Amino acid sequence: MIRLENVTKRYDGTTAVDGLTLEVAAGEVCVLIGASGCGKTTTLRMINRLIEPTSGTILVDERDVMDRSPEELRRSMGYVIQSVGLFPHITVADNILTVPKLLGWDRERMDIRARDLLQLVGLDPGEYGGKYPRQLSGGEAQRVGVARALAADPPVLLMDEPFGAVDPLTRERLQAEFARIQRELRKTVVFVTHDVDEAIRLADRIAVMRDGRLQQYDTPERILDHPANTFVHDFMGSDRALKRLGRVQVDSVMRTDVPVAADGRSPDAIARAAACSESRFVYLVDPQRRLEGWFDCRALELEGSAETAITNVDWREVSVHPDASLKEALSRMLGLGFRSISVVDETGVLLGVVGLDDIEETMTDSDAYIAPASAGVNETGEAEA
Amino acid sequence: MRRRGAAIGVVAAAVALYAYVVARQDWWAAALARLFPSLPEAVFPSATVADLVLQHLQIVLISSALTILVGLPLGIWVTRPSGRDFRALVATAVDFGQTFPPVAVLALVMPLLGFGLWPAIVALSLYGLFPVVSNTVAGLEAVSPAVLDAARGMGMGRWRILATVELPLAARVIMAGIRTSVIINIGTATVAAAVGAGGLGSPIYSGISLQNGAWVLEGAAAAALLAVLADAVLAQVERAVSPLS
Amino acid sequence: MTSIATPSGRVDRVAVFGASVAVLACLLMPFAVFRANRIVAGTSHGVLAAGLSGWLLLAASACALAAAIVPGRVARGWLLPTASAAATLALAWALGGAALTLRAGQPDASRVSIGAGAWLAAAGIAVVWFAARGYPEGVAARRIAIIVAAAGALGAALVGGLGHLSIVTEYGMRADSFWSAVGTHLALAGGSLALAVVIGVPLGILSLRVRWLRAATLGVVGVIETVPSLALLGLLVVPLAALGLPGIGPLPAVIALTLYALLPIVRNTYVGLSEVDPAVVDAGRGMGMSGRQLLLRVEAPLALPLVLEGVRSAAVLVIGIAAVVAFIGVGTLGVLVFEGWGQQTDDLILLGAIPMVVLAVAADAGLRAVSRAMTSPGIR
Repeated sequence: MIRLENVTKRYDGTTAVDGLTLEVAAGEVCVLIGASGCGKTTTLRMINRLIEPTSGTILVDERDVMDRSPEELRRSMGYVIQSVGLFPHITVADNILTVPKLLGWDRERMDIRARDLLQLVGLDPGEYGGKYPRQLSGGEAQRVGVARALAADPPVLLMDEPFGAVDPLTRERLQAEFARIQRELRKTVVFVTHDVDEAIRLADRIAVMRDGRLQQYDTPERILDHPANTFVHDFMGSDRALKRLGRVQVDSVMRTDVPVAADGRSPDAIARAAACSESRFVYLVDPQRRLEGWFDCRALELEGSAETAITNVDWREVSVHPDASLKEALSRMLGLGFRSISVVDETGVLLGVVGLDDIEETMTDSDAYIAPASAGVNETGEAEA
Repeated sequence: MRRRGAAIGVVAAAVALYAYVVARQDWWAAALARLFPSLPEAVFPSATVADLVLQHLQIVLISSALTILVGLPLGIWVTRPSGRDFRALVATAVDFGQTFPPVAVLALVMPLLGFGLWPAIVALSLYGLFPVVSNTVAGLEAVSPAVLDAARGMGMGRWRILATVELPLAARVIMAGIRTSVIINIGTATVAAAVGAGGLGSPIYSGISLQNGAWVLEGAAAAALLAVLADAVLAQVERAVSPLS
Repeated sequence: MTSIATPSGRVDRVAVFGASVAVLACLLMPFAVFRANRIVAGTSHGVLAAGLSGWLLLAASACALAAAIVPGRVARGWLLPTASAAATLALAWALGGAALTLRAGQPDASRVSIGAGAWLAAAGIAVVWFAARGYPEGVAARRIAIIVAAAGALGAALVGGLGHLSIVTEYGMRADSFWSAVGTHLALAGGSLALAVVIGVPLGILSLRVRWLRAATLGVVGVIETVPSLALLGLLVVPLAALGLPGIGPLPAVIALTLYALLPIVRNTYVGLSEVDPAVVDAGRGMGMSGRQLLLRVEAPLALPLVLEGVRSAAVLVIGIAAVVAFIGVGTLGVLVFEGWGQQTDDLILLGAIPMVVLAVAADAGLRAVSRAMTSPGIR
């Protein structure tokens, strides 16, 4: 969908982007990441010709961007920036409808579109449509910014550190919203950030840049497991293994064949259930299979009495959701002092169990030292001839 | 810093040049005679250019001094706890007064005080109050509350804070107000010649009524140059007074 | 719009100040001045020469003083407007009454003019009205008070004898030339302002894009701004004459006024546009707006408040300078003032000066209202 072929940008003596070649497939999120000044924003702004490349070709949907007028090109792409840049003098709804208005849509179509978009980004149309930007919080403003970018339903979205200007909690929520919206709409997104965790969370593929040159362009898993050079290795952080866990969801590794017993049966009855021979814990559930506690077989062995083996819990405090990451599950386990943790849905129904050994199985040798022979990029990140 | 020094030098040289040219009545006579050969009397006879400039300066300086003497304390008082009640009134009065045409202020004072130099000075002082008070209030209120808090926290007394913190920080804005006031005064003083105050307006008026273009040009040129120079000088003072040079 | 500070302490000092001024002015200063004819010196008369209304004026002012001291915001909120209305009414009727009384039995040529005391009392009462605005509790009382005062003043004008004041007589003597002067003043000021907008706004926009133009324009126009208006008019004589054009009359007047109006307009247009948040401009460009669309739909609405403020400054400025051009033969209100100076007739001076002030204040208030109305609620 988007192809950059040997794109270079030079300013008076400095090279901001050097021979960049990469391709973003349709429906993919490509995250450009690197330190300040690495050329990621310059690259982004060359795609919609806010900056003109010194040399090289950029193709969007097989058409050279230079063949189209800049305005027409930009109207076909959504553009979201860090400081949002909402027009302060018009309402939220009018802000959102900026490009449709430029394209000449009729009023009715625009009104419906504004409502739909506000709902999509999680804002109540009735409440927010008529507000002015100065009445919005940072998070709300950025949601409106995203809605504005999506208004004319462009196939491509360009985002420059869109969640950088808000507090971490809001950023967390906005990232989740974005992921949800992207799952629904499957736009082709080029996303610039310097936050590695954000990149890992949102990207289909990450392009690591340094001093204008591409260091590695691959899926987050492969970059974490096999960084192409020292720079990428260091940039991704020393907790790469943990980050890697962040890409795996609990429901993909949990064990669903969990021994359960109906709560309320006498402990002796439970003990007599063959369950104890297979696993240490028997989970106690109510008739709807909602988690109510567990029975520790080993405690029964050691102490002899069944009462001490039973623990009753509030499922909300000791379990994780199935779409949580393994990283979160591990963190919860460590915090609670467990070696395994139950997985429940929103109503508390027990879905499965994930344990430390399950996590170990998903680990690869991702913390090993770099393998310099991959991707044609050598240790110091210079492209090999 | 060097550019500042150069600017001050240029302005000083210009002032000196102006003073010299103004003193050379013979140059004015010759130049005006050349420009208006058909006129018998090309130069204003009642007073030399130098006299007129001095008269003009006298009016402007006295009225500006009065304005500062009254306006500065008034502006300060209105931002103090004792005067806060009057702040709104003073601000509104000043806003209102600034829309007054200068000629109107001169005109309104005449019925009360009559004609001549001193009524004109009173009128000019009054009219000049508005920008000075307005800017004094604005400048003092723009001082960051954090700075004031710090000063109070260090144990400084109110008067010391005013003298060593607030006024220096507000100095540039206040000076800008004084500059505006003086420039307006120079202009209004030209008109005041019509009510017997003297100054560079006299040759202009006489020239218009007697159809003598040379006199008009004499007064106009000297007055225009005076105003431009005064503005340049005060601009340098304004910059010098700014705490963050 | 400056906000009214809520009075602190037990006593409303602003109202006390205003009321005291009114009382003292009435007691100590001449209220009305009687002259046998237009040019001889006059004799002063105190407020009581107006009879009943004079007493009423004193009483109302004293009430205002009392109202300022009375504890309780609600009480003050009601008493202050009441006293103000009463005082305003009384002032109008007292002036009219004085005019009638003093002229009774006198020849037609006699004149009664408003004394300094009456002016000062009016100022004091205005301050009390101002103080009354600080009491939201009395909003209803204020509305009633305004209507009553206005009605009363109107009554005084129609039947109370205000029409016998010298200034009205002066107006009567030259109504035609008065209105012609007003018309010329407005036309000149308005026309020059329009011209300045037409030239200045594009200049301001261009200054944003072309660096040298900005320095040149702002520099030149800045210098002109400091030159006294009378001097500028005088300086225009020579070049105009060289071009074979009249050095006096409407042409140099329009040129001078337009030049003076240019600075606030050009500077504010430039500053207004340059203060538009760059993020907003970037977002607009990134969304595909052309330069023209960006200017019209985004930058202009955002710069508008500042531009209108520049127009407002310019308007007040040219109304003031339009008075001065009376000197070069243009028939604005300045003519009345200068004639009055020449004839040493106060009423003529006032007949020229007061409308000038009214025009300037009205233009200022009017343009403020326009600016408020035209500014999007998102940027107020």
